[in-house]
Amino acid sequence: MILARASRHYLRRHPWLLSLSILGVALGVAVVVAVDLANESARRGFLLSVEALSGRATHEVVGGPLGLPEEVYRELRITQRVRLSAPVIEGYARTADPTGQTFKILGIDPFAEGHFRTLVGTRESQADITRLLTQPATVLLSPRTAKRLGVRPGDTLNLRIGSNWRRVTIVGLLEAPDPVTQQAFDSVLVADIATAQELLDMQGRLSHIDLVIRDDDTELIQRVRAALPPGAEIVRAANRSQALDQMTRAFRVNLTALSLLALLVGVFLIYNIMTFTVVQRRVLIGTLRALGVTRLQLYILVVAEALVIGLIGTVLGTALGVLIAKGLVGRVVQTINDLYFVLSVTSITLVPASFFKGIALGLGATVVAALAPAYEATRTEVAAVLRRSSIETRSRRRAFAAALYGTALAVVASAILLFPSRSLLLSYAGLFAVMIAFALLAPLLTLALMRACRPIMARIFGIIGEMAAGGVAAKLSRTGTAIAALAVAVSATIGVGIMIDSFRQSFVDWLVFTLRADIYVTAPVVQTAPAAATLDPALVARLAALPGVSEISTLRRVRLDGPGGVIQLRVLHTNARHFEAFQFKQGNVADAWKALQDSDTVIVSEPYAYHHRLSVGDTITLRTDGGMHGFNIVGIYYDYGSDEGRVTMSRRIYERYWRDRAITSVGLYAAHLTDIDDLLTRVQALAGTQEVLIRSNQALRQASLEVFDRTFAITAILRLLATVVAFIGVLSALMALQLERERELAVLRATGLTPRQVWQLVTAETGLMGLTAGLLALPLGIGLALALVLVINRRAFGWSLQVAIEPTLLLEGLALALVAAVLAGLYPALKMASAPPALALRTE
Amino acid sequence: MNLRFFIAPVVLSAMLAGVSCVNKAHEQGNSHETARSIARTLGDADATGFARAYAPREFVFPRDHGPHPQYKYEWWYVTGNVQTANGRHFGFQLTFFRIGLTPIATTRPSAWATEGIYMAHFALSDVASGQFHAFERFSRAAAGLAGANSTPLHIWLEDWYLQGNEARRAAEDLSMRVHAAENDVAIDLTVDSDKPIVLQGERGLSRKSATPGNASYYYSATRLRTHGVVRVGGQSFSVEGLSWLDREWSTSALDKEQAGWDWFALQLSDGRELMYYQLRRHDGTVHPFSQGTLVSVDGVGHRLSAEDVQLYVVDRWQSLRTGVQYPSRWQLRVQQAQLDLTIEPYLPNQELDVSVRYWEGAVHGSGSAHTRAVSASGYVELVGYGSGRQGQLGPAVR
Repeated sequence: MILARASRHYLRRHPWLLSLSILGVALGVAVVVAVDLANESARRGFLLSVEALSGRATHEVVGGPLGLPEEVYRELRITQRVRLSAPVIEGYARTADPTGQTFKILGIDPFAEGHFRTLVGTRESQADITRLLTQPATVLLSPRTAKRLGVRPGDTLNLRIGSNWRRVTIVGLLEAPDPVTQQAFDSVLVADIATAQELLDMQGRLSHIDLVIRDDDTELIQRVRAALPPGAEIVRAANRSQALDQMTRAFRVNLTALSLLALLVGVFLIYNIMTFTVVQRRVLIGTLRALGVTRLQLYILVVAEALVIGLIGTVLGTALGVLIAKGLVGRVVQTINDLYFVLSVTSITLVPASFFKGIALGLGATVVAALAPAYEATRTEVAAVLRRSSIETRSRRRAFAAALYGTALAVVASAILLFPSRSLLLSYAGLFAVMIAFALLAPLLTLALMRACRPIMARIFGIIGEMAAGGVAAKLSRTGTAIAALAVAVSATIGVGIMIDSFRQSFVDWLVFTLRADIYVTAPVVQTAPAAATLDPALVARLAALPGVSEISTLRRVRLDGPGGVIQLRVLHTNARHFEAFQFKQGNVADAWKALQDSDTVIVSEPYAYHHRLSVGDTITLRTDGGMHGFNIVGIYYDYGSDEGRVTMSRRIYERYWRDRAITSVGLYAAHLTDIDDLLTRVQALAGTQEVLIRSNQALRQASLEVFDRTFAITAILRLLATVVAFIGVLSALMALQLERERELAVLRATGLTPRQVWQLVTAETGLMGLTAGLLALPLGIGLALALVLVINRRAFGWSLQVAIEPTLLLEGLALALVAAVLAGLYPALKMASAPPALALRTE
Repeated sequence: MNLRFFIAPVVLSAMLAGVSCVNKAHEQGNSHETARSIARTLGDADATGFARAYAPREFVFPRDHGPHPQYKYEWWYVTGNVQTANGRHFGFQLTFFRIGLTPIATTRPSAWATEGIYMAHFALSDVASGQFHAFERFSRAAAGLAGANSTPLHIWLEDWYLQGNEARRAAEDLSMRVHAAENDVAIDLTVDSDKPIVLQGERGLSRKSATPGNASYYYSATRLRTHGVVRVGGQSFSVEGLSWLDREWSTSALDKEQAGWDWFALQLSDGRELMYYQLRRHDGTVHPFSQGTLVSVDGVGHRLSAEDVQLYVVDRWQSLRTGVQYPSRWQLRVQQAQLDLTIEPYLPNQELDVSVRYWEGAVHGSGSAHTRAVSASGYVELVGYGSGRQGQLGPAVR
């Protein structure tokens, strides 16, 4: 009882300490909860929409890049009597309005649908099914979408589908049977299958055929398989969504890890504050011990205090997390759209698991952070407590011990990081171990630094400077942990900053090296569409014949669905000279070029080789129009354009195995002395009204970088959040330290120090601590960056990145620590400088 | 034989019941409900632009065995009673309905673009086991999934079909294969006409009410010798018997005052056939446009008006499945032909609980004609009972 009262009394007397520590926990928890909510919302939105749209289908019959011939459906349904079957056509369209929303066009046969989706037939009054079936270019959409687009049944909508503009009429609204389906419908336009074929230019073809087959009915699966033409295949419906879900896994894991980094920074701050409160209350604790309070009771007291702070902080943090998540989810979805597939999630789902995670981490982290200080409190000896000097002597001794532990941990951490494993979890464990190891080294490093800078300080700032340096070293029990916490906090922002820069630099270098044509003409591309939009062949021919164009190269992008997942295939037609734009990691460019021309070979990107554990000489099997066929890998090339990786083959070989003859984009090489701007104008004139993207090399590079920056926007936001946590940490820790010095400074004032000198002393001390933290943060930040770039990115995505360290970034970290430190000194300095020394002394 | 008339009234009730119906469909994953609501919506579709049956026309065969897309509704209705050599009896029904969505022929590039849809019902009454099996299918009339041709005769919905026998080319002779299979129930029968086609009503124009155009073109093949195979419960049965083909097309709906009808198609043991449909008003009374045809042994049809026929319901049966009560035993008299028959179903439960709920079943009867004993076998269709407009249906529901 007396303990609780003492604790309450203490915390009430130090409201700034209390509120800053709560803020530290709250921010850390908020970031974790926000990232988790945003991630989960995006993921659930995706999985649920896939589920809602594939309905009760258990299996799918899929085809090649061009889909399936529609005869396959008649064969299955009529000849093979597979009654639970439904033809589906899928494609993408973009609205004409400036926001340009992407919709999935879902073409279905309402009469085959009953067993699969509850799409049509809901609310007869709202959907004119006769018009949907008989009138061309008619669609249904969800009421929410209609509201969002400001349209009603009877209105028309302009859509860009592939390279064409199409006007569709809304003939009704889709009433979803439940909220999940409703969310799925938000980005869907439902059309009759005939309409979808016409809109997407897929006459005679289907995207896939949905089937409901019991898992144990292998006889039926066999029968279906036997009835399929060579280019078609039956796959489990879940495979496709799993494959797509898998695509984003590394991305999500890394976001989560970065959010944990923010929490880790928070943990250090709590540790720092709890240590501080224990150290500051030595006298009180000693007295309590003298009064007969047991060590266990003291231990519980400190942990309980931490728990209260943790609880309040966690509750606030969770609420704050929801707010941040609302802002974050759009970024996450945007990134997924840029990198992986079309996804529309506008709101967050309040996933209970995210809250539990946040609460558990918040409370757990505070308790863990409090364990050492609590132990520290129990170690307080009754007799020794009154002698501060003994503490400081011991803490200096302990700095050596900590440094020893730190060195040992650093060795273990390095071993973990260097251990050739693919586990991301292990890598992050190694990363966090590095940070803790460094924190343990920080007090000793601080001592050394202070000893080194004391004469310098004396020379520059005179006695006040010398006093400041001496003070930091003398009060190591408090300053040591504070500096360690600050260094860790600052290093996190430096490390993530370097990682982003390294990534960007590698990407830019790769772009410059790879993009060699002068002008690129591309059909508008939508991620995940099995076959990207195509260019009009006549346009391609006219482009090649354009005066001033010396050569062209063409690219076809297709997605191959198979039982093993999704493969992005790039079909390239170019010449040996331009082929050298590929930088090979493995294999020889010239040999690969020769092999690609006339043998069944491919080259694969570095991430693809990494994910599938392939090297040159291995064979990959692709589903061609004539069935499965093996292709020999003759090269592995650097490619930062796709994290799941891509497979590239020559057009000649592609045309040997696939019927598809379409082209997605064309690169034009200008003849010598041709004016590029002039050529660009002529290309634009040639394209006329066709909706194609015409970009100069420079513009394409710019556009690619914009996408890149967009995809790293969340990382940058997380870094910013970690920075804010760090800033608040520096501020709170140093402010607490100085405010605690009231009595000491009063003595100094009484012995003749002017208010101005007090102000200088305080500022010099906090500044020195900030600087120390900043300086220590530099090697740690670089170390973190190396781990992130060379270990974690490599394991998550398989990329080789060059480490790019921008000096400005390091200076920023230093400045962050310094500014926060100086700011932290302002209020205590002002308070102490102005307070009459007698008043402060009276507390004695 | 006017199931089509029922589609319109069902639409009205569906408008009221629509939402709850769909929710139920979702819970149960019941495709019937989805199909049912589509059928209702389509049944209500605009009839603008479709031709109507105003006056008698000239029938030309085999052309008229094929579709008439300028009319909104059309059907091919085959019912029959067959048995094995040792007397195991089966009743069967295979019906193809065409519902036009637009009278304008499509010129769209997609093979899936459709002007109409097909609905088909297939039922088998297995008298020995007391089982009644009924199935329903829907399809667009496109992409080779469903359709109808007159030459060669081919009416199909996926793998259910009526297919003309090319060997018999005589214009009015009808010979075709009747094929349907679902789960473990299947029929594969050959039917051959023994008599010429009979034009119903006024030279094939069958008026359903006083409203002009509220009529259909209607002909029947009343006695089709049938043989083939019935498969049910994992067993195949070689069967023989008699079938009946009803053909009708129109663009009209049931009159407001009409609640439903009872339709009889009977093949008599004396070589004659009787068709009679009785239109019911909501109060249960007989609508004056009820009519029938008595077909002589040599195939000449003799028109019967409502006054010529007395029909009494002797017994009723209530469906456990839907709770709807149907007549299930009748006394039928045709005074001028001195025909007096007691008719009863082979099985009481021959209710089709599909998108349009009705009772259609194999029946047999016995009695006298001109004092001579006569027996009968055939099909009865009961429509408009418990349709959701309860309270207006009169005693039939209560």
